[in-house]
Parts: sequence; structure tokens; C-alpha cells
Amino acid sequence: MTAYETVIGLEVHVELATKSKIFCSCENGSDAEPNTHVCPACCGMPGMLPVANRQVVNLGMTAGMMLNCDINRTTTFDKKSYYYPDLPASYQTTQWFAPVAVNGCVTIDTPNGPKDIRIKQIHMEEDAGKLVHDNLTFTTLVDFNRTSVPLIEIVSQPDLRNADEVEAYLERLRTLLRFAKVSSARMEKGTMRADVNLSVRPAGSDELGVRTEMKNMASIAAIRRAIEYETARHIDAIENGTEELVQETRGWNDDAGQSFSMRTKETAGDYRYFPDPNIMPVVIDDEWYDRIRASLPELPEAKRERYMTEVGLSDYDADMLVQSRAFCDCFEGAVEAGAAPKDAANWIITNCAGVLNKRGMTSDELPVPGNALGQLIALVNDGKLSSANGKRLLETLFDLSETEEGIPDDVAALADAEGLLNSSDTGALEAVVAAVIAADPETAQAYRDGREKALNPLFGACMKELKGKCDTQVLRELLISELMKS
Amino acid sequence: MDRDTLLKLEQLNQLSLTPQEQDETLAFFAAREADWEALAEIDTENVERMVYVRPMVNVLREDVAAQPFSRDKLLAQAPESMDGYWQVPQVL
Amino acid sequence: MSENTLFIAENPNGKPADASLVVGLGDLVLTPDMPTSAGSKMLAGFKSLFPARVAERLQAAGHHIAGKVNIGEFGFDFLGETSWFGPVTNGSGSLTTAAAQLLAATSVDAVVGLDVNGTEARAAALAGQVHVKPTYGCVSRFGTVAIACSGETVDITARSAETAQRILDALAGHDDADGTSLPESECARVTSDGFDQAATAGEVFAAPVAHVKVARGLADTADDDTKRLLDAALDALRAEGVAVSDTAPATDELLKVASTAWNILMCAELCNNVNRFEGMKYGYQAEKCQSIDELYTRSRTEAFGALTKTAILYGSEVLAADNYDRCYDKALRIRRLVSDAIANELAGSATSGEAAGQTAIILPACAKRSYSCDDVEANPYLVFDENRFTAPAAISGLPAVVAGGVQVIGAPFSDVALLRLGDVLASAVSAGKEA
Repeated sequence: MTAYETVIGLEVHVELATKSKIFCSCENGSDAEPNTHVCPACCGMPGMLPVANRQVVNLGMTAGMMLNCDINRTTTFDKKSYYYPDLPASYQTTQWFAPVAVNGCVTIDTPNGPKDIRIKQIHMEEDAGKLVHDNLTFTTLVDFNRTSVPLIEIVSQPDLRNADEVEAYLERLRTLLRFAKVSSARMEKGTMRADVNLSVRPAGSDELGVRTEMKNMASIAAIRRAIEYETARHIDAIENGTEELVQETRGWNDDAGQSFSMRTKETAGDYRYFPDPNIMPVVIDDEWYDRIRASLPELPEAKRERYMTEVGLSDYDADMLVQSRAFCDCFEGAVEAGAAPKDAANWIITNCAGVLNKRGMTSDELPVPGNALGQLIALVNDGKLSSANGKRLLETLFDLSETEEGIPDDVAALADAEGLLNSSDTGALEAVVAAVIAADPETAQAYRDGREKALNPLFGACMKELKGKCDTQVLRELLISELMKS
Repeated sequence: MDRDTLLKLEQLNQLSLTPQEQDETLAFFAAREADWEALAEIDTENVERMVYVRPMVNVLREDVAAQPFSRDKLLAQAPESMDGYWQVPQVL
Repeated sequence: MSENTLFIAENPNGKPADASLVVGLGDLVLTPDMPTSAGSKMLAGFKSLFPARVAERLQAAGHHIAGKVNIGEFGFDFLGETSWFGPVTNGSGSLTTAAAQLLAATSVDAVVGLDVNGTEARAAALAGQVHVKPTYGCVSRFGTVAIACSGETVDITARSAETAQRILDALAGHDDADGTSLPESECARVTSDGFDQAATAGEVFAAPVAHVKVARGLADTADDDTKRLLDAALDALRAEGVAVSDTAPATDELLKVASTAWNILMCAELCNNVNRFEGMKYGYQAEKCQSIDELYTRSRTEAFGALTKTAILYGSEVLAADNYDRCYDKALRIRRLVSDAIANELAGSATSGEAAGQTAIILPACAKRSYSCDDVEANPYLVFDENRFTAPAAISGLPAVVAGGVQVIGAPFSDVALLRLGDVLASAVSAGKEA
């Protein structure tokens, strides 16, 4: 029996994390109500001219550098023509002749050791809109919110051989792009999508088989299933002649677990590319190149190593932190603000993660700056804020991050204004302790008689009276000394 | 350019010519062959392409989001719309 | 449809008492208060949500916009003959444009439009009016219906060079919303003030035209009447002390293929730009379509005229992967050769006697002195050949002025110098007529 080898290349589309679209000033946020982030330009009306967004170029360069590409110092935009209801201008502005980055490489881990996956190119382009199929009217509804949202397309060479490698490659891309803040790179949100190019050949052959392309795969699990299905279909066709393989674009029906041929016109596939004369070339000089290079983040492996050897974190803590660039930034900021690394790590991994989870947010969305967390930790450690109120304060910081004013610089003042700080009035504390003891003489006597657990209800009563605003250590000591006095 | 090729070109461009329009267009294309031959005779081997007649570089805007346009106004001239969407025959 | 539609829409707001000039806007220029149809059934009645920059600038300068002027479909035809609203003829039954006829027969002072393929330059030459196609990038194209972006510019037709200059003074200026808009300092060079300052500073582009070179290779393809008109213009210029010579034969050869190359570039860009008109989002939609392809194809087939369809198909063909190198890419390289050849002609003339002046190229704007509707019916593709006189300026983005029935092309930013030369040409012709 012949052994076969699957040959896979990926085209990965990634939505860029910009504030505005690529060629017009509409907000980049395709989740909004339909057609509320659109203007005459991105809904295909005549008259507006494209002016490219500088940040898109910055992020395109960043992605290129993260993926070890050569940056084209002169990069240009081209027009690609085709008709589809989600493409309002009936052309997509993309990069055909001089993409921003070429000849890169991403290293993945495989059971046989590290493997380099070559990147052919990265180009910048605009996304298309979304179609909604209305089953009541049997019509298709068109939403242009996503039209002209900036994308990069990362085109790999056909260096991948199986679903495990594809998964490792996608996860590596996701990590690198998130760390560099290029994209949220979330397949489940559609900010990262993959086209899978696949062919099958006898093992050891140098020639490529007939290639099929499955477009817009939206999850790694679906990609795994599609690769298995498509590999089997190709082998079956080659071995048993069940069908004639043709180079084509196929859709993937994940529910049915099958790929299907997409009806394409005979004439499709020639997109009539030509340079867009309205968009002047982007020329990247040394200053610009160096500035982007200097802005690249430390890679997660390097951070992990540093957190363990220089900062002294456990490998568990380091692993947890380097899952998210936002965690790392918060951690490093908190430590810089004076927090002990272990405390900062604990607060992020336990408390921040808890709040994120409760609010349905991802680790990349942690909105608390390290400096604010550092101040919060100091308040707790200095006994000015109870641990419980520290958590309340953390929630407040999350809330404020969504307001226009944002999180204030002075977290202690905020805690004070929110009435969360411990009372520093020892007289008031003593009065509360005295009142609690007086109100429950039996429990007080039980404690004096040696039942240590009797302290707990008294302590709780004091805390309730003080609304949690006290240094628990000070309260405990005061309560014991007052009990023993009487 | 023959009639079959022209038909494919029409389809690609979402047009459907009458037989008479096809005849005229085929004649037009036939006449352009001489044009292309005239261009071919000019040596452009080492000539740089000129896409932009008054070249500039890095004409870029800052990443600032503007106020959105009114959806109602954008949709006001749509031949068919529904619930804030443009509406078209079902696309499978 | 009425005969000889000049305005497809008139300004609902009357002319203010203190208005300066009365201006018509060609129908590729978008306005929110009046429809913009681009001469096409596809866009008949379309209303933009925003005004073109040039409309704003005209109003800011105190000029009154009288209405939207009828043009040929997408503005690239010979003399407006493909308009959905019908062609326009003048008093003697010759084909003209609505813009030229408005200037000839009404109190409109000027028409501002988009010069895609020399239509209004031809009309102005035939009607003895003044037309200016400014240096590419000096007037914002924001808010014009894009057709052939790499070469098209906002244009002005007026009865006199002086009026054309007043309008250009109002229009020129940088615009962040047009990525091909030049910096303000460069845009200002085509205004009277900016030009005079540059002249004082001794800038070459601001020197008067002291030397014209006849593009003989193209001029000789015009008919005898046209050549006689050109000769009369040259005599008038000589009388004003302007030196006259011929362009080099090598230049002539390139100027002659400018039209072929421009047709390729223009049709490709037109094809791509009018792709967006498919009947779905706005404009004409065919009735009772069962599928999206049917909606696209029937809407476009029913709404576009024959010349537009041919241009779309030709533009698509020259971009096909198999043709790209020998057609589109070739045309981009020819554009470079043509532009370089013109630049050499304009730069290489400074003999001692002419040191104080700059050079312009002079040529006809069309091949005959009048055309009839029969001419374009007999050959609907006339424009793709007869645009040979306007293609050199279109493909190179250089300024061109038509006056006294002839055309002069100059170096970048020589617009004001050309208009002042145009004043001489216009006076010479009117004096010749009186004589």
C-alpha cells in the first residue's frame, strides 16, 4: 500500500486592532448594530477617495518583523475586482505587487523537535462585509460594518504536513500577534480566519498533487476535521478513482463533516489586479523601520525565562502570566510600582483572572494598568485596605476602565473616595469592640474560658459593624486584649 | 477575441450584450490589435512604470475614528432594504 | 427627455444678490441638494450625502452654483453624445456639450466638471471658449464620481481666460481627503497670487510662455481648417514675440501613441470604478430578479449605454492576466516615456533670447472644426481615436489650456502662464473673425 503525505499551506486573515478602518474613518468594530459603522466610502457610494491608515502600516510591519520577514521598504496598494454583495465597491483594495512583508519564518514545536514554517508574504488589505440569510423572506441581508476593516493576510509556504502542525502553527501565530498587539486574533470572534490549501502526494515525492482550498475556517477543531476529511477524499480519489480531483475552492460544512465544491464561474479567478493610483506608495525609511523594530515586545519564552530566573517566580506563575501580553504588562507595571513579584503574580492570576472570568472577558482584555494594581497591593499590604475591599476596589477599577474618565492615577484617593479604606480612628475601633463584647457577654466569657473559636463570631460582629473597613490584624489584636482586660 | 471569449468577458463584468452590440464590440476589439502591436514596437525594457503622475509618498491619515453616517440616510436610496440592511435575492 | 437638456437639475436655491460668478457643475460632481446622475440611467436621480470639495470651495468664494450640467455617460465620450439625457447641439446643428452651450447661450459664467477624456476641451475648442485642465493634484477630486483616477482632473470651461482663472483661484488647494492632493504650497502655484509671487521669485514655471513648440506629428492628422486655425494662432503668437518651433520627431511618435496607452489605462480604471454600479445599493435596479447574478447583470445591461459597455469590456480585457504585461503594464511604461518626452521638450529650449520665458507645446484639441450627430452615429467609438489630441495631457497629468480653438500644454504648475497665453490666443482669434 502506498504511503501518502499531506501538504498544507495556510492563508491566515487577521483583523488589525486599529481604532478606525483602513481607508475611511469609520470605527473599526464590526459587532455593532448592522450598518452603523459605515459611510459613503465603505458602502460603495461614489465620491470618496481612499486615504490609508498609518497604524495599519505600523501593524503590518510589526507582524512582518514578529514573523521574521523582510520588510518591503516600498509597499503599494492594488485593486482586485470581483462581484459579491459583501463587497460594496466590487473591488477589494489589497497588495498584489509589493506586499509589506515577505520571506518570513515561524518555528513550531513538533514531536520530532522544532520545525520552521516559511512565510511567503504578508499583505495588508480591507475586509469584506457580512451577509445574513433571512429564511422568512428568502433573501440575503447585507451589513457593511466589517467592510474596510483592516486585515493582514499571512501566506505560508506549503510546509505543514498534518493537523497537529497546523494547530501548532496557528497557535504560534496567535501568540505572536497578540503579544505584539497586532490583533486580538480570536478565531471564535472572526478576527482570525484561515484558508486551508491542501494536496496529497505519495510520500517522498517532490511533486505537488492537485490542490484544493477551503476558505474561511473559523475554528481549529473545524480545521482539524476538514484536514482529515479532505486528506481522505484526496487519497480515495487517487487510489480508487472515485472522483477526478480539480483545483478548486471548497466550502467546509462542519455540521455534516464534509467539504463541498463551491459553484464557481468558469471565468472566475482572474481578479484583474492593477495598482490603485489614488493611494501613493508607502516608503519605509530607516527611522520608521527602526522605530517599529524597537517597539517589538519581548517574546513570551524570553519573558517566562526572565520571570523565573531574574524575578524569582515559580514556573507555574510564569506560565500563567505569559499566556497574555496584558497579564505581562500588568505584572511588570505592578512590580515597577513597588509590588513584590509574588504578590503581583497572585493578584493577577487569582483575582484579576477571576474578575475577567466573571465578566466574560479574555486575559488579553485585562484593563487594569500595572501601576494601579501595584498601588492596590501596597494599600492591602500596608493594612490600609482589607483584602476583601481590595477585591472590591479591583472591580471598581474594571468598571472605571469602561468609562470615559478611565482609571485614575491615584488609586489610594479612589479607594478613599469609595469609602473602602480602613478606619484609622483607633477610638472608633475601641468603641466598636467594647460594644460588641458588651452585647454578647456569654460568648466573651466562653473565649476567656479557653474556647478559642468563640473569638470568630465576635470578630465577625466587629467587621460587620465596621463594614469591613479596618486592618484585620489590628482588630484581632485589639479584640483579644479587650477580652482579656475585662 | 471571438464570440465565446467575449461571452465570458461579459459574464465576468456582469453584462449581457445583444448580438448587434457583440458584433460592434468584436470589431472594436479587432481594431485594438493594431494598437497593441504599435505599443509592442516601442522599447520599454528599461522604462519604469508610471502609476502616479505627480508622485508623492506616505500620504497617510492618523488612526482616528470619526462619527458615523446616518444609516437611514445611507439606506434611503437602496432599491430594497430591511431592518437596517441592504436586501438582495438569496445568495447561496 | 427633452431635446438639448443643458441642466439635468437646477439649484432650488435662487441666486443670491451678491453672488460673484454663476457656475454650472458637470454631472460627475456630487451635490447633496441636487441629483448627480453621471450622465447615466444607472445613477439617474442619485443624491450624494455630501458635496464635492469643489462645490464647497465655489460657494465659499461667493460663486453661485446654478445647476448640474448634462454630460455623456461617465464623462469619457466624444462630445456628450452618450448622455442618458440626450446629446446637445448648437444653433447651427453641430454636436456640442451642454457646458459649451450654456456658455454660448445663457448667462452662466463657467462650468466646473471632471475632465476624464478631454470632452469639454474639445467642446471649448469648437465653440471658441476657454478650457483649463489644471496640473494634476492642484484641485481636489474629493466628491467627484471616480472614473479614471490616474489622469482625470477637475476642469473649468469659461468664456474668457480671466473668468477661468478666477474659478481656478477658488478651487485650487490641498485636501486631506484626496490622497493625490498636492501640498498647499504647490496647489497655490496655479492661483493668480501664488503664481505672481513665484514669478517675482524667478521660478521657471511662473515665467511667461516665450516659446511654443508645435506637436507637428499630431497637428498634421487634423483637417485643413483646423491646421489653418493653428497657423493663425502661431502667427498671432509670433506677433507677440513668442518663438515658434516644432517638437522633435521622436516626441511626435510618442505623442501619437499616447491615445492608445491612455485608452488602455482609462478603460481599465473605468471598468474597475463603475463595477460598484451593480444595482444593489442605490441607483437603477432591474425588476423581479431571482438571483444576485441576474440582479447585477440585468441592472447593468439595462442601465449602461453601449459605449460604456464596450469601455468596461475593453478595460477588463487589458487587465486579464494573459494581457496585463503587453497592455496595462506596457501602457504604464508608455505613460512614462510620453511624460519624459514632453518634459524634455518643455525644458530644453532656453536659448539666450528666450531665457526669460518658458516653453509650451501647442496642438489642436480635435481634428475637425465641427461634428454632427451623424459622425458619432457612424462611428460610436470616434472618441478612442479623436482623443489623440487630449490624451498627452491626460496621461501625463500636465496642465492644458484650450483657447482660440487650439490647445497648449505646459510644465507642471504653468497653469496661469498657459491661461495668460490663452488670453492672447482667444483675442487673436476673435480679432481674426472680426477682420
